This record gives sequence, structure tokens and C-alpha cells, in this order.
Amino acid sequence: MSHPFKPALVYLLLAAPALAAAQHPVALVIHGGAGVIERAKMTPAAEASYRAGLGAALDAGYAVLEKGGSSLDAVTAAVRVMEDDPQFNAGRGAVLNHQGDAELDAAIMDGSGPHAGAVAAVHHVKNPIELARLVMEQSPHVLLVGDGAEEFALEHGVVLVPRTYFRTERRERELEEARKAEAAKAKAAGITASGTVGAVALDRAGNLAAATSTGGLTNKHLGRVGDSPLIGAGTYANNATCAVSGTGDGEYFIRQVLAYDICALVAYRHLTLQQAVHEVIHEKLQRTGGEGGVIALDPAGHVAMDFNSAGMFRGARDSQGKRVIGMYGDDLQ
Amino acid sequence: MSSTYAIAVHGGAGAVPRAALTPEREARYREGLERALDAGYALLEGGGSSLDAVTTAVRILEDDPLFNAGHGAALTRDGAAELDAAIMDGRQLRAGAVASVRHVRNPIELARRVMEKSRHVLLVGAGAEEFALEEKFQLVPNLYFRTAERVEQLEAEQRGARVSDLVPSTRGTVGAVARDTAGNLAAATSTGGMTNKRPGRVGDSPIIGAGTYAKNGVCAVSATGHGEYFIRAVAAHHVCTAVEYRGLSLEQAVREVLQVLSGLGGDGGLIAVDRDGVPVMQFSTDGMFRGARDAGGRREIAVY
Repeated sequence: MSHPFKPALVYLLLAAPALAAAQHPVALVIHGGAGVIERAKMTPAAEASYRAGLGAALDAGYAVLEKGGSSLDAVTAAVRVMEDDPQFNAGRGAVLNHQGDAELDAAIMDGSGPHAGAVAAVHHVKNPIELARLVMEQSPHVLLVGDGAEEFALEHGVVLVPRTYFRTERRERELEEARKAEAAKAKAAGITASGTVGAVALDRAGNLAAATSTGGLTNKHLGRVGDSPLIGAGTYANNATCAVSGTGDGEYFIRQVLAYDICALVAYRHLTLQQAVHEVIHEKLQRTGGEGGVIALDPAGHVAMDFNSAGMFRGARDSQGKRVIGMYGDDLQ
Repeated sequence: MSSTYAIAVHGGAGAVPRAALTPEREARYREGLERALDAGYALLEGGGSSLDAVTTAVRILEDDPLFNAGHGAALTRDGAAELDAAIMDGRQLRAGAVASVRHVRNPIELARRVMEKSRHVLLVGAGAEEFALEEKFQLVPNLYFRTAERVEQLEAEQRGARVSDLVPSTRGTVGAVARDTAGNLAAATSTGGMTNKRPGRVGDSPIIGAGTYAKNGVCAVSATGHGEYFIRAVAAHHVCTAVEYRGLSLEQAVREVLQVLSGLGGDGGLIAVDRDGVPVMQFSTDGMFRGARDAGGRREIAVY
């Protein structure tokens, strides 16, 4: 065993360029909403089902990154899987508004532009995240709402679905409870505060992207738009700083321009991503009485998943071999 | 805290060719800006709130057919007016906004009602009008907003004619920012968006952080210009974070964001007022209809 280091060194030198390319970190982080997510209220079957849903989204998005695909394709794929999964509040299975309809919002942002697309208050679009992406790629606009957004969808060959596609028995029951509570002027019990789904990703080329999709609040006023489709509030990505997707009390996220604020703290105050997320969630949001959480990624692949609610459905996977899924406050600590 | 108070208003930024703007027309624009500025200022002078001052100034500009908001708003490709507005109270970061409404005479008042009477910040389309009715607003027909000038402009644009030479601007916006004697900051913005826009298109005006932002102790901002760029740059909040986190002066911050926007390919302008009531009005276009007035005796109306 003489000169034990030499062969290894030579090998490393020869392999350096290839290794560097292969080792450029890729990462995907997802969330499926924050709120009253507690062990005591969860059956083992429900827990397993949520874990499976999050895992499917995480792996669908990560598969894109692993093959050298773009962060934009990865977040689109991950969010689409959760939109199609009725247990999450986005796409099919979204919560119902006061009229009993799903009314959907979504946004996507490409940190390399920055380019962005968003839709709000759509009723017949199966995958709002794909329409948001079409707005970004095929229109000169960023945000289209309501009938105008659906007209745009039809012009671009998107097949619309009836409102009944989105409705599930569980959401009808929740709406009924919310209406009763409203009539009794009480707070609806047992309903998780807010779901929303989202994803942030970093690809091999170093591009960050963020995507968020939601049905908003149960029993919401017709036309109410939350933070998810608003660039800077619930969704933001900038290759120089970070990518963020939020979930929670949307009105608080809008007023504080929360997603952008995290990236501004990283850029201007030179906080680490975790510090910036902590300050915004546990100081600023907490102080105003708002509840929710965010997932975030920086250009180096650092992951933040933080919330001030009881729990947040979340997961992360990266090229270092990490693959985690959590939902309660004490998971993944 | 000092008792300085100030207000600034804008009536849109864009190509303002001197040839198209006859002296008579320019005088009418100046009068419109003055009316808005002085009405808002009178409220501040009487000890009124910055919130009331910006609401009043914007309402006057909405009612004036020369400006692209309320009566005389730019028309969509379908020939309808579709209006967006937002207001923000810098005290507790309260905000209200509406987008894509077609029958609300003064969208800024509906935005304020959303802030004060609903648990939401942004309502859009038919849902926003339903809320208006619940709040006893009297709706008006869409024809109320339409002026002969805007119909001509839309027809010209649809014929493929160059419309950037037309006055009033085809993508103006109106807005106001103010600081009151109590030191409270407020911002308000209202618009009809771009001429020949796709129905449902929402620009930066009603997006908190993009076209409108106010935070006590930092600044109040109202923007006008190519909205999509202002959204992507989160322009109004960019200005406030540059002031708050980096200690830039408001003027430096506004200049910086205009540079960022130019880098992305977008132009426009911003009016802002800092925590001490110093107004800033900057733009990267040929001109911006604007005015500022403060307790120190400054009173300024300008176009170019």
C-alpha cells in the first residue's frame, strides 16, 4: 500500500470536469398546504395516503431534474400531480367557494427571466398550473383572471372541464360545515386552515423556479383571490436570490409581499435562506397574526421548509441523496 | 414625529409627443391634475388622513375622461372598459384591491371598501361586483366609461395603426401617494389597463407590491407603465425594501427600480413619498403627467 493517495488524486483530476457537472446540485421541495395538521386528528390510513400523495409529486418532479430537465418542468410536474390528487386543495378536490364551486388560482415563475405567468378565479381548467405556464410562455401578460383566462385557455387548445370535475364529497361536507358555522357566527371546527400546493426547484443549469396552485378558502367570497397567483406574495423565483412558494393566510402574505420579502432579506441583509424564512414566518407573519408556511430554495441548493401553523404537508429531495416527507410540526427536525 | 404632510399624483407615463399634445389639451391635463392634487392636499391641510387624501385624488382622476381610469378608461379588445384599482394604508399594511370590474363607477372606492369591510385583499370580476352590490354600491352600465376618444383609439389599434402617438396615453394609470400630519403613509392606483387588452388581463396596479405599496416609516409608492414588467420586478415593494433594508434614499431606490425595469425591457414611472413626506417623481418614458404639493410650499405640476 505505498503511495495510497496518488492514484486517487490522478483519478480525481481526470474526472474533475465530469464530476463537477454531475455534482452541480439539483433539488426539489414541495408543499401540500399548512394548517391544523396534528397527529391526534389523523388516522394511520389518512397519514399514509398523504405521504403517498406527497411522495408521488416529489418523485415526479425529481425525475425531471435527474434527467437534466429544467426546474420549470420539475415544478410544473410536481404541482400537476398534486392538482390531480383530490386530497390536496388545488385542481380536483379544491375547496369550494360560497356558491359551491371550485375557483382556482395558480402561478409559476422562472427565476432566469424573470418570467412569470398566473391565472386567478378560473372554474373550468383542469390543471391551472399548466394554464399559468401558457400565460407565461404564450402571452405578453403575467396575470389573466376569470372568463378572460378561460377564453385564453380555449384559444390555446386547452380542453375545459365541467365544474363538477373538481367537486368532491369531502369538500361539499366542509362547505356545509363552514356555512353552518357562518350562520351561527362561530368558527368552523375541524377544518384545516388552508391548503395550497406548491413546488420550488433548482436544476442542473442553476435555474430556480417556483409554482403554486390553490382552491383558496372554503366558503370564500366569489372572486376572492389569495396570494398564490400573485408574484411576490405567494410565488417568487429569482436565480440570484431564491425561489419561494407559500401557503397560509393569503391576505397576510399579500400585504407583506412575503415571498419577495424573503428573497430581499437574502439579497440585501445577507441572511441565509433559513434565517430569512425564519424572520419572515416567525417574526413578521407571526406579529401580524397571520398563519402559514413556505418552502424555499437558494442557488446553492439549501432548503427551507418552515411554518408557524401546527403542521405543513411537505417534502424535499436532492442530488445528495436526501428524500424526506413530513407533515407534523415535529417531523424532520 | 414631524407634522410635514405631502401628496403626489400621477396621470400616467408614456410617450407624450409635444405635437399631439396641443397647448389647449395640455392645459386641460394640467387642470385635471391640479384638481386632484389640490383636493387631496386640502384634506391633509385640514388634518385629514393620507388614506382619504389619496382616495379623493384618485376618484377625481377616475371621473376625468382625460385619464385612463374610471370614466374614459382604455378599452379591451372587446370594446369594454375593464378596471383595476388598489389602495394601501401604511399604518398596519392594510390593503384592498379589485380587478377586472366592468360596472363600478369609482373602482378606488370599491378597493377601499374591500380593505375596510371584507376579510380579503383582492376581489376580481363578477365576485367583486357582487361584493359591491352587497355593500350598496350602485352599479353603472359599461357604456358609462366609454368615450369617443377611446373608441377611436381602439379602432386605430385594431387597424394596426401606431397608437403610441395618441393622447391620452393608451396605457396610462392614475395614482396618488400621501403622508398626513400623523405620519401615516398611503398609496392608491387605478387604471383601465392597456388599450386593446385581452379581457381578464390584470396589470400591476391592483397587485400589492407591484404597482401599489405603502408602509409607515418607509415609503408609499404608486406606479404606472408597462404593468407586466412591474409585476415581475415586484417594483413598488422593491423600492420599499431598498429603502428599508439598504438605507437608500427614496430617490435612489426609485431610480434603481427604473433601471431594473429598463434592464428587463419595461418602461414607466413611479411617484412616491418617503417617511418624512418628501415626494419623488421619476420616469423612464418621454413624460409622466404628475404633480406634487407639500406643507413646505412646494406645488408642482409637470408633463415632460
